[in-house]
Amino acid sequence: MKETEVKKHRYGMVIDLDKCTGCGTCMVACASENNVTVRADESDKQRSIAWIQLYKINNGEKFPKTQTCFFPRPCMHCEEDGNGGHHPPCVSVCPATATTLDENTGIVSQIYTRCIGCRYCQAACPYHARYFNWWDGYSYFKPFPDGMERSLSPDVSPRMRGVVEKCTFCHHRLMRAKEIAHAQGRTEIEEGEYIPACAEACPAQAITFGDLNNPKHKVSELIKSPNAFRLLERLNTKPKVYYLSSKEWVRRLADNYLPGEPVRGIND
Amino acid sequence: MENQDHFPDKFTEKSASVKHFFYMLISYLRNLISNPMRSGLAYFVVGLIAALLVGWVLFPMALYSRNHQPVDFSHAIHTDPDIIDGIEGDTEAERCSYCHTFRDDGSFTGIPNLSKCMECHDDPESPLGETAEERDFLEEYVANLKEVPWYRYYEQPDCVYFSHIPHVKNGEIDCSACHGGHGSTDSLPVYEKNRISGYSINIWGKNISGRKTNTWDRMKMDDCAGCHTINSHEENNGCFVCHK
Amino acid sequence: MDSKDNKIAERMGINRRNFIKLVVGGAIGTTLSPLPWKITDDIAIFTQNLPWVPVPPAGEYSYAGSLCTLCPGGCGIKVRKVDERAVKIEGRTDYPVNPGGICPLGMGGLQLLYNENARFTGPMKRTGERGAGSFQSISWDEAMNILADRISGLKAGELAAIDGNLKGSTMSVVIERFLNSLGSSDYIKMQSSQETMDIAANLLTGTRGSVGYDLENSDYILSLGSGLLEGWGSPARVINAWSIWRSDELKGRVKVVQIEPRASNTASRADKWLPAVPGTETALVLGMAHVIIKEGLYNRDFIDNFSFGFYDFETAYGSYRRGFKTLVLEDYSPERVADITGLEENEIESTARDFASASAPVAVCGRGKGALYGSLYESMAVLALNALVGGINRAGGIFINDPLPLADLPDLPTNTSTGSDLKNGRIDMAGSRSYPFSQSLFNNLADSILEGNESPIDMLLVFSANPAFTAPNCGKLRKALEKIPFIVSFSPLRDETSMMADLILPDHIYLEKTDDMICPSGLQYPLYGLSRPVVKPLYNTRNSGDVMIDLAGKIGGTAGDAFPWKNFEDVVKHRVKGLYDAGDGLTDFDGVTPPWGTAGSIASPGYSSFDEMWEKLVKNGLWYRHLDRGRNIETIFNTKSGKFEFFSSIIESALKDIDVKILGKNASNDDICMPHFEDISPEGNDSFPLMMYPCELINLASGWIPNPPYLNKTLFDDQLKKDNSFVDINPDTAAEYALKQGDSIIIESPAGRVQALVNLFEGAMPGIVFMPLGFGHSAYDDFLRGKGANPNEIIYGKIDPLSGQNIWWKTPVRVTKL
Repeated sequence: MKETEVKKHRYGMVIDLDKCTGCGTCMVACASENNVTVRADESDKQRSIAWIQLYKINNGEKFPKTQTCFFPRPCMHCEEDGNGGHHPPCVSVCPATATTLDENTGIVSQIYTRCIGCRYCQAACPYHARYFNWWDGYSYFKPFPDGMERSLSPDVSPRMRGVVEKCTFCHHRLMRAKEIAHAQGRTEIEEGEYIPACAEACPAQAITFGDLNNPKHKVSELIKSPNAFRLLERLNTKPKVYYLSSKEWVRRLADNYLPGEPVRGIND
Repeated sequence: MENQDHFPDKFTEKSASVKHFFYMLISYLRNLISNPMRSGLAYFVVGLIAALLVGWVLFPMALYSRNHQPVDFSHAIHTDPDIIDGIEGDTEAERCSYCHTFRDDGSFTGIPNLSKCMECHDDPESPLGETAEERDFLEEYVANLKEVPWYRYYEQPDCVYFSHIPHVKNGEIDCSACHGGHGSTDSLPVYEKNRISGYSINIWGKNISGRKTNTWDRMKMDDCAGCHTINSHEENNGCFVCHK
Repeated sequence: MDSKDNKIAERMGINRRNFIKLVVGGAIGTTLSPLPWKITDDIAIFTQNLPWVPVPPAGEYSYAGSLCTLCPGGCGIKVRKVDERAVKIEGRTDYPVNPGGICPLGMGGLQLLYNENARFTGPMKRTGERGAGSFQSISWDEAMNILADRISGLKAGELAAIDGNLKGSTMSVVIERFLNSLGSSDYIKMQSSQETMDIAANLLTGTRGSVGYDLENSDYILSLGSGLLEGWGSPARVINAWSIWRSDELKGRVKVVQIEPRASNTASRADKWLPAVPGTETALVLGMAHVIIKEGLYNRDFIDNFSFGFYDFETAYGSYRRGFKTLVLEDYSPERVADITGLEENEIESTARDFASASAPVAVCGRGKGALYGSLYESMAVLALNALVGGINRAGGIFINDPLPLADLPDLPTNTSTGSDLKNGRIDMAGSRSYPFSQSLFNNLADSILEGNESPIDMLLVFSANPAFTAPNCGKLRKALEKIPFIVSFSPLRDETSMMADLILPDHIYLEKTDDMICPSGLQYPLYGLSRPVVKPLYNTRNSGDVMIDLAGKIGGTAGDAFPWKNFEDVVKHRVKGLYDAGDGLTDFDGVTPPWGTAGSIASPGYSSFDEMWEKLVKNGLWYRHLDRGRNIETIFNTKSGKFEFFSSIIESALKDIDVKILGKNASNDDICMPHFEDISPEGNDSFPLMMYPCELINLASGWIPNPPYLNKTLFDDQLKKDNSFVDINPDTAAEYALKQGDSIIIESPAGRVQALVNLFEGAMPGIVFMPLGFGHSAYDDFLRGKGANPNEIIYGKIDPLSGQNIWWKTPVRVTKL
């Protein structure tokens, strides 16, 4: 048996809201990639599931100064603070250890077979990134149309009712990339060999994905921008999903600012 | 204060009653053993033995359904370079991977499909049909181009992600470390499936007590985790390493 | 002794004490056996792997490249397969139209393929009432016999077809040929704004090609209501262009101006949003032209050398004609245009100046997704504006391309025995004295059928279209369909029109069949796309092209002679031969040198025989040419003057034949030949004080293809709530009618009424009710049926002058709170 040293990664995502057009392809790509279930009534947003959810915000100005802006919200894959203190909010509350912060990738995992469905994590997540399966996704109660199970991907385990699910940064794509690397005699993957389905599908190329530990990667460059921000920065959850927007009103909506309080960037 | 004074008396009273209890117990047991029928010990023993029998013998028999593979197959013959032309290589892994191949993308084919078999068994009239098993195989499957519905001994549940290539190619783990002597058997073992969990006995442990003597006796989560935490590399045992 | 023995026997027998001993023994034994522990473990495992949760079978991965034909966008797709199952659709990086990206509809395509409840699984005939949706399965033989017998018994002119296939595609050619071979000319294409633009281009340039916009190279994009981010053109291509404009290199240097009454995605993300009153966009364009001409900002080189009718001129007969310059300067002062459009005067002026001073400006039109008709004079005005700045066939401008060099099919056998209907008028009056320039007028079909006591046509074939849902004022069209004695649907999907059909001959779904695409909508360079089956057909369906060829053979006579090919693919091959003979197209794209890039054309086509080319075409799915900037604009204009005509001589020469009453009442003869604004106000009166504007959303399919279930996830909670869709209303307008957020209202027009919920939206122009197109299906399955209201039900408007197409963006309505 051979031992290999495992390199530590911190996979993260930068979403350029100036480029995002709100088309929703990321949501469809994600659902299709990850065998997310769909029900006849998807308008019930408290029951429907979307690992990456598109939110619509507007500047609240009167006609004709109104502007809307979209921001896609995957799981933020929060980080621990390095002092052993903060964990991602969902991880620290899970009584079943069904969700953990992967030390090698920085991805917050979710193991459906381990989940007991208490939904504590859902309550703890400040980003509403977690979804509960109120019904079996497929066949038994037939929420899925007949025949549709034929399009299920074997890479992602279909969920049963009673468990929580969320975005995994398409972790299975990392595993596939690694498998290909192994086939080519490598133990590490190259940057760019692994990107989630949403980043790949985005027709506006608004989503950049990569290793934040790699200072040469584009994500590390992008997050230095004065336009970069994260959602609910002051909760200190340290999300690995960053946003870029040149519009101040968009950045203002990213956190609970007091009226007149200046908007802070992540670098401030 | 008063209570303290009385305490020693109470204590002696208590030790006396304990003594009395043991005396009674011993005489009762003596009575039990000397007259098993009259005392009812027999009933206890019968209940005990019956339950043990059920638990250790009947239950395992009932728990697993037993199925024979649709076609018998000798791994021993098919891995013998003297018999099979194509089999080459010094290591076991190289011989196994003649049929259990890796695809270019690193994924593992598992049980070969019919086309692999037909690389040799390509003709219904082929002289390879010497035994009855071979003839059945040729007539029923090869002639009709029908895939053999093999039972999979080592099928992991859907929540498990397992890739052979890092283990076999990069980790240089022998096939037998997990699959035991499967590759040198003359005929296929009966496929035993757990009626409750739906998984093969090869995955969920051959020994009903859960005792494991060989590395290949069982492939449950702990068995994988045991290896993954070796040298206290806890981080290699992240949930997402083996789950999907 | 008896009693003693009895006592002993009693003690030895089964009594309460002994029974307890037995049970205790059993309990201890069970505890010491693996039974309870193993069962507990197994049950725990059982609950983690419930047997009814499907386990998707693993297998070998492969990617099948093809083309998405769900809309006229023609994006390249690759389908990830596990063994034979398709599990995911992704965009192709080796396809020039959509480098890597794809739109949400294309992404959800597998749900159209695999949704058994929304598909027909084999040929069927109607058993119950029309529209009840009760059908009985029949064999293909029986279906073909029914159809062939009925067609053989038809008289000339009794056969018509509605075709939603992409313009110029082999399928549409086959259908039209089939009809013509039987003496019928009633081949009716579904509507599209590209159609309107192509007519406009023909009138001003004399070229019947396709019009494309070089968005990628442009630095100033003026969009007249085009939903650039709502699915206009090739959605993934336009969004990709958008990200080029917003890239770090170009950030701030490319300006997008959106003219639209609602803060749509495009309007919100644009650099400037000009909410002009719907229907007055033409006036705005001409107002901008006024500023550009008045301030001398136009491209003198182009105007002086390559245009006709800009200046006033004298005809050969000595009569004096007003030119475009005079028309614009006299009639479209910013002051008047501001009055018409509701915009600020200085905004119009500054936009005009910015447009003219940009280095590569382009004006685009086609409302929403461009899936409905445009306005002819508006399209002409847009072409004229582009011409003013010299933006015709110039980098970053409009490109007018020749038709693709596809081989023509052999001429039809001349001795048509079935009749001479071809010479007679069409049922939709396209090409008639009233509408001489239109080839097809889908909107006239309903009126023509409803006119007399009996339907003039006996049999209607419907291909790749769902007019019962997508036609503006679809209630009227459904009435017309009911009147047609026999309807045959070739739709693979259980759509509204199929529910009204008598015979269903289901086509394959797009991922199962061979199909092709000519010049994706709005693409600036010539491209031919070929889509190939990526999975084997799942059900007992057949490619409609093959069905038509077989049917022609079965009918025999002129129809049989018209189709000497074995199957549909042979027809495709026949046409593609023309591409090979042209000798210069490319059949692969390296992903690096885009056809619109500055690298120029790659000289070698990379194939040396037709078979080799066909092989590459099948593999890569495309044939294309690099953008031909070198093409001399001296030769592209095929008009009488050989120039770009601001004053269309084609219209002028047709004027004597035109039924002038159909033209705008304000237009003089001179104006008729030039882009001009006509105020076509709807017949609203005080009882319909508001206006309804159908808006399109990128995540809501509004055409023949319905929303795959995954797209419903992307709808916001101010768009759909349970079974009700929302309409956007400005809070001020809502306040006049005492409407609050979420109120249920009835929206009523002269054509009908629908119910919807109120969404107060500051971005909505006051006085207008904005209804999203795509809701309100009554067919398909639970995922689509009964969700929201279809604005097509209440669309009611006048006719666009000259083209005869319908005006669908101005419906007078009133709202009542429920």
